[in-house]
Amino acid sequence: MHAPSEQPLAALQAAMSAALLASDPAGQVLPAALFTGAHAGAVGLRVHRNTVLAALSHALRLSHVAVDRLVGEAFFDRMAIDYARAQPPRAPQLDEYGAGFAAFIEGFPGTGSLPYLAELARFEWQLARLARMRAAPGAGPVLQLDDGVRLRFAAPLWLHGASHPVGEMRAAILAEDAAALARLPAGGDFHYALWRSDAGVNVRPLGECSARFLAAVYAGASANEALAAIAPGSATAGGGGDPPGSAELLGREILPAGFVQVERPADGCGRP
Amino acid sequence: MGRGSIAAPVPAQAGIGLRLPHHALVLAERPAAAWLEVHPENFMSDQHSLGELELIRADYPLSLHAVGLSLGSAHGVDAAHIGRLRQLAEVLEPGLVSDHLSWSVAGGHYLPDLLPLPYTEEALRVLSRNVGQVQEALGRQILVENPSTYLSYAASVIPEAEFLAELARRSGCGVLFDVNNVYVSASNQRLEPAAVLEGWRRALDPRTVAEIHLAGHALTRTDAGEELRIDDHGDRVCAAVWTLYERALAWLGPRPTLLEWDTRLPAFAVLQAECALAQAHLEAAPTRDTDAAPARCHARAV
Repeated sequence: MHAPSEQPLAALQAAMSAALLASDPAGQVLPAALFTGAHAGAVGLRVHRNTVLAALSHALRLSHVAVDRLVGEAFFDRMAIDYARAQPPRAPQLDEYGAGFAAFIEGFPGTGSLPYLAELARFEWQLARLARMRAAPGAGPVLQLDDGVRLRFAAPLWLHGASHPVGEMRAAILAEDAAALARLPAGGDFHYALWRSDAGVNVRPLGECSARFLAAVYAGASANEALAAIAPGSATAGGGGDPPGSAELLGREILPAGFVQVERPADGCGRP
Repeated sequence: MGRGSIAAPVPAQAGIGLRLPHHALVLAERPAAAWLEVHPENFMSDQHSLGELELIRADYPLSLHAVGLSLGSAHGVDAAHIGRLRQLAEVLEPGLVSDHLSWSVAGGHYLPDLLPLPYTEEALRVLSRNVGQVQEALGRQILVENPSTYLSYAASVIPEAEFLAELARRSGCGVLFDVNNVYVSASNQRLEPAAVLEGWRRALDPRTVAEIHLAGHALTRTDAGEELRIDDHGDRVCAAVWTLYERALAWLGPRPTLLEWDTRLPAFAVLQAECALAQAHLEAAPTRDTDAAPARCHARAV
């Protein structure tokens, strides 16, 4: 049995770690006999607790900018600190910290009037993950169309589905456009393409058919297979009204979206 | 390119801590800086920023200053984290690699702070083992930095300077001497910083000191109304720390000196201006026959 001031290093570190993450005041205290010097041990512990929790809150704020703006700094800190205490990071690269934040704040006390908050957080987490990736031009799938035209898709690109218009919501929050935020529909099925380019992370809202088409393309489907995925009566076409024709879909939603390059066959003179 | 490779040695001049918000400017303008230092943890999962750093590194000598090895953890250093650092070092070939005399991992949880160690024989054994493990994995010497402290353990029986000197002797690591941390710790312990520096001078072989850090700190008060200095890297270097730096240079001779600024990050030009002040001190410093031993590519066996 060791006196408090002589406990082995492992026990000291376990006790201090628990004290720094504890939420109840009683759990935040360590025996005074552990410390000496000009300040009481509690002063130093408070400095370290503030540093730890502020760093974790800051890390989450960086990856959840719109959530922070929406709920305000003080409330965001409450959610972030509760999350840090419940699920502290397991590695020092803090940009990977926060994968479970969206699930954690689902139903968080005081967020009843923001039923979309967790979905917004989930969406922002995907954007943050994508921001850490390198654009990989030429690494995306390529579709060969019948007329020799090739469609080269961006990489990486992810499809994101939500039951609230989180993309438009985030844009309105960051633009501080309360009127645009108020005009958004309350719920439904929303689809987005998220992709990384050299310029940054891009977001494009998609219709349901375009989302199915892209899902098929990125799953390795051929052009015909991807287009069949949106054809009336296809196994994956689903309800939701008549799907557009393939030419209309390509022309209206896919080609102008920014995540696909069109490569035309060279003419007899070698010109594309 | 390989284990322990160094693309360009870090010169005995003033360098700047490079933070992500300054990447675009550095990439576009290649501003004057003798060398740069980064936190490797910011590039371990952020491949986009790593791509930028690879471009930047081609034009500046680079130092990797880790914050997450947790060299003082009783349960050892996370092998996965060492692996991530090794991978980065192989790509970036830094002139220096360093971390702190502290711990931040317990029970598998990472606490983002430099938590203090009791300066005991047990802690010394733990650190020697952990530093040795890291140096072995990286195939090179690392530097260990004295931290700022806000509390003192009753169990500490070895003065900090002697503790770090002995760690260097046992493990073969070098020392990153943070002048601001000496000032902050001394002030918080109600000690005279110049006297504390004298303790370092007596304890430490100057040849082990391969880098110096300078930074600004905050002055606050406890609930009891007592002054407390917080090492927040959020301001210019204060006059008292410049004075201490001058004394450190008189003892050590010119050493690569980093200007750290992490919170309330100003424009890069402000960092350059602070850096110029450090450079002026370096140029006025007497040359000693105590130049730091060059970083070794293979660590001494512990």
